[in-house]
Amino acid sequence: MSELLRAEHLTRHFKIGGALSRRTLHAVDDVNFTIGEREIVALAGESGSGKSTTARVLARIYAPTSGEIYFEGKPVSALRSRSDRLRYSGLVPMVFQDPFGSMNPVFRVQHGVLRSLKLHRPELSGQQRQEEAARVFDVVGLGADMLERFPFELSGGQRQRVGFAQALAMRPQLILADEPVSMLDVSIRIGLLNLMAELRDTMGVSVLYITHDIASARYVADRLIVMYAGQIAETGPIEEVLASPRHPYTQLLVSAVPDPRAPLSVAAGTDRGEPPKVIDPSPGCRFRWRCPLAIDTCAQVTPMLTELQPDHQAACHVAQAQPAGAEPVQAFS
Amino acid sequence: MSEAHEILEVSGLSVDYVLDRGDVRAVDDVSFTLNRGEFLGIVGESGCGKSTLLFAVAQLLAPPAQVAAGSVRFEGTNLVGLTDKQLSAIRWRDMSVVMQSAMNALNPVKSIGAQFKDAMKAHGKPSKEEIQARSAEVLRMVGIDPVHLKSYPHQLSGGMRQRSMIAMAMLFTPDLIIMDEPTSALDVVAQRSLMVQIKELQLSYGFAVIFVTHDMSLISHFSDRLMVMYAGQVDEFGATRTVFDRPLHPYTQGLLEAFPSIRGPKVPLKGIPGSPPDLARLPSGCRFHPRCPHAIDKCGQLTPELAELDAALVRCLRRQDGSLPLEAGQEGSLSR
Repeated sequence: MSELLRAEHLTRHFKIGGALSRRTLHAVDDVNFTIGEREIVALAGESGSGKSTTARVLARIYAPTSGEIYFEGKPVSALRSRSDRLRYSGLVPMVFQDPFGSMNPVFRVQHGVLRSLKLHRPELSGQQRQEEAARVFDVVGLGADMLERFPFELSGGQRQRVGFAQALAMRPQLILADEPVSMLDVSIRIGLLNLMAELRDTMGVSVLYITHDIASARYVADRLIVMYAGQIAETGPIEEVLASPRHPYTQLLVSAVPDPRAPLSVAAGTDRGEPPKVIDPSPGCRFRWRCPLAIDTCAQVTPMLTELQPDHQAACHVAQAQPAGAEPVQAFS
Repeated sequence: MSEAHEILEVSGLSVDYVLDRGDVRAVDDVSFTLNRGEFLGIVGESGCGKSTLLFAVAQLLAPPAQVAAGSVRFEGTNLVGLTDKQLSAIRWRDMSVVMQSAMNALNPVKSIGAQFKDAMKAHGKPSKEEIQARSAEVLRMVGIDPVHLKSYPHQLSGGMRQRSMIAMAMLFTPDLIIMDEPTSALDVVAQRSLMVQIKELQLSYGFAVIFVTHDMSLISHFSDRLMVMYAGQVDEFGATRTVFDRPLHPYTQGLLEAFPSIRGPKVPLKGIPGSPPDLARLPSGCRFHPRCPHAIDKCGQLTPELAELDAALVRCLRRQDGSLPLEAGQEGSLSR
C-alpha cells in the first residue's frame, strides 16, 4: 500500500489564560503516523484526547505549532499559492460531527455542493455542476430530488450523507471524518459506516475516521490509532490491536464497549477518571493516574511509541518491559 | 411482586400533538406498570415517541402536545389533569427527571451549588447548613468532589455535568427518576462509567428508573424490563434478558443487529433500511411493514395488536399466527 499522507512530529499547542499567561495547552504533542491509499484509519480516543485537533491540523484549519505534514510526498507547509492550497483542501476535505450545525439552514442542501464545485472545479459549467451534484448525491444514496430540499426537511442520517456528498464533489483522496456518526441513531449509523467502506472499495478514497467507539472502528477501519492526552498510545492493524491490546488505555476503551453477549464486567466500571488537560506537562506517562499497572518509571520517563510486534506499536513502559511473545498484562478486561 | 410494590401505573396513555393540519398521535395507547426499585428501559429510534411518553409520564408536556386518553397513576394519584401547583409537590420530591443534554439543562450563569439551592428551596424552607450538607452529600454520591458546588457548568466535563444532573435529581431521594438519554452526549468510556454508577445508586437507594435510549446495547446489562417502541406504539415488551436472547419483533431484531461487535467474526450489517414513518401519515396495517424484511401482504392490511407470546408482549401478525416460526429470523440475534 503506498503512502498518501504522513504526519511527522505533528504538534499543536494553544496558549491559554489571559494575555500575560504563559501557560500552554498541549492538544497534540509529537504525533507521527501515515495514512495509505485506499485505507480507512480509525483515530480513537476520549473527548479531549486531541483527535479532532489532529484532524483540524491535517485540514489546515489550524497551523501546526511544529512538525510537518507530507501529502503525496510533498510538505504541506510549502503550499503557498492560493491554487495549491485550494487543491489540497479539495483533495483532503473534512466531514463534521454535527449534521445539524454544519449546514446553513436558509439555503437548499445543494448550495454547499454547488459552491464547492464552483470553487474547486471552476472548469465546470453551471449545467455540469448540477449534473455533478446529482451524481455525488446518487453515490451517497440520496435521490436527486433531495438537492432541492432544505436542511430541516432532512433527517440526521441524510444530512450526514450530504456532508459526504459535499466532500466527494471535490474528488478527494482522503476524507477527514470527525465523528460522523456519533450524533446519529444507532440504527442509521451502520448505513454511513457502510458508505465509507464503499467509497474506499469502489472509488479508492482513504478516510481518517475519528471516533470514540472502538466497535464501529473495527467494523470499517483497516488500521487503528489510539490517542490519549495528545499523544499516540497505541497503533497497528485494527484486528491485531483489538485482539491483543497492549496499552492499558486501549484495554480500557475495549472494555467500555457495551457487549450484550458478554457478562457485565466489574473492572470496566471502576474507572472514574477522565483524560487530563495537558497544560505545561512534566515528563512521564500521561495515563499513569488512571493506570492500574503504573510503576515508578511511568512518573519520570515519557514512554515512546515502540514496536512490540511487527507494525504494532505501543507507548507503555509495562508492555515494553514484557518479554516478546508473553501474554499481554490486562489492566481492564 | 405484590400490588403494594407498584409505584407507577400507566394505562391506555395516548398523546396528541394538536396542529393546524390535524392532530398527530405521538404516543398511542401505551400501558405499563413499574415496581419500586425497578429499572425499565425504553428503546426505539428518534421520532418513535419515547421522549413524548416520558414527558407525558412526568406531566411535562407543553402545547401543542396534550394527553388525549389514559391515565398515569403515580403512587395512587392520577397525574393527568393535576394543576401545576399540585404537580410541583410531587416533582423533585417523589419523581425527578434527568434530561438528555446537561449542557442545556443546567443554567450556565449559576454555580452548581446555587442551582441545587434553588431546587431545595422550592420544596420547603431548609436552612443554609441543610442545603450545604445535602448538596455536598449528593455530589459525593455521584463521585464528584463537593468543591465543585462553587463551579459553573462550563468548568465541568460532559460526564461531570451529567453526573451533577443526576445528583440534583437525587436531592430528595425520589422514588422514581426518569432519564431521557442521559449518556448520549458522552464518549464510550464516560458512558460506561455513568451507567455503572446509575445502577449502583439505584441498588443502594432503591429508586425506580425509566431509562430511554436509542442504543439497545447500552442497557443490556442494566435494565430489568425492556420496552421497544415504534411509531408511537409498543412493539415488544418483556424481561430484558428474554428480549435480548430471543427478540420476537423484526424491529427489535433490526435494532439488535444495528451495532457492530467488538468480538467474534466481522459480519456485514445492514441496520434497518428506511426511517420511521411520519406520524401524520402512518402506513396501513402494521406500522413497521414497509421496512420489515419478513412482511407479507396481510401485514399491509391488518393491524396487529400487542399480545402475549412466549413470556413477552409482541405486536407482530406473523409471530402471532405462527407463520414466522420462533426459530426464523433469529440468525443474527444474540442467542447464538
